[in-house]
Amino acid sequence: MTMKVTMRIRRFDPEKDAKPYWAEYTLEAVDPTDRVLDLLHQVRGRFDGSLAFRRSCAHGVCGSDAMRINGVNRLACKVLVNTIVKGDEGKIQVEPLLGLPVIKDLVVDMEPFFENYRSVMPYFVNDEPPPARERIQTPEQRTRFDDPTKCILCAACTTSCPSFWANGTYVGPAAIVQAHRFIFDSRDRAARDRLAVLSQENGVWRCRTIFNCTTACPRDIKVTQVIAEVKNAISRGRAD
Amino acid sequence: MKGLLTTVRELFRYRGQEGQLAWMGHRLSGLGTVLFFTFHVIDTSWAFFWPEGYVHALKLYKHPLFLLGEMVLVLAVLYHAINGLRVVLMDFFPELWQYQRRLTIGGFVLVGLLYTPAFLIMGAHMLQGLDIL
Ligand code: FES
Repeated sequence: MTMKVTMRIRRFDPEKDAKPYWAEYTLEAVDPTDRVLDLLHQVRGRFDGSLAFRRSCAHGVCGSDAMRINGVNRLACKVLVNTIVKGDEGKIQVEPLLGLPVIKDLVVDMEPFFENYRSVMPYFVNDEPPPARERIQTPEQRTRFDDPTKCILCAACTTSCPSFWANGTYVGPAAIVQAHRFIFDSRDRAARDRLAVLSQENGVWRCRTIFNCTTACPRDIKVTQVIAEVKNAISRGRAD
Repeated sequence: MKGLLTTVRELFRYRGQEGQLAWMGHRLSGLGTVLFFTFHVIDTSWAFFWPEGYVHALKLYKHPLFLLGEMVLVLAVLYHAINGLRVVLMDFFPELWQYQRRLTIGGFVLVGLLYTPAFLIMGAHMLQGLDIL
């Protein structure tokens, strides 16, 4: 059985269009187990070769095809058509992530996002001389920051956050998740510096505990919990 | 300003769940209460600076329209308090995240329960003013 799906896509080409607009493309024979990413490829192949979107791995690993699908941020490569279109006919609405400048169609400029990411020192810091073999860590210590290690920097969480829409200088959920991964790593020594960055005006306190990020995360990271743990670490003055 | 407009528009377009709804309610009730306080501080100051105006204002507040506003105010304060406590709870106990949905909806229900008596009493009062009861 195939289905008929109309793709409603937010389009914008800065060289031609004064403003973004909605375009519709009807695909007659869609396999219900196709993914939204497949449909975007079909639209590009059959209707308009200039349709711009990012994708790389096509398997939910690289994080390049986050976009707003039927009103929520998802990875196009992880959404099966039959999970969002019921019956044998329907519509799928696709638009770029909100809060980042649109370069073309579904492609947004990720630079502001990565700027926030860099601000939390998302790398391992430890100047002590390394031991002969390795820096030992117990399984419990490793588990402490397991959840945030799953992040693929797709920006689905950050661009689902109303605080970030209102103020793009808020570091955003993704940067906090990355910071958490090192703050709670027993081998790292820069927790204090990261907490100092995150306790500033545009740090964790802009989080209003809305939970949009948690539901948007394609990796099921408990983003709001992670942020709350960083908030607690700041108010206690230590990470443990 | 642009950020604010985008945010307001997209709050109706982005399909967040109860958390987003709860936050919208929180902002609305908070702003509404602040607005009320502003007026209230002004009209109370009249008791000192402009006594006739104060007497006039008190009379005006007996008008059913203001009584209706009062009912909305009680709802706003109640909602803001209970939802605020929920957020505080979630922030202090991050592991509660798994119950966030239930806690949020539970908060809505609690507000409803606590508001019912106020609604009935104040509603009856307002209808009396309208000479309906
Ligand atoms: S294309 Fe890599 S995550 Fe979807």
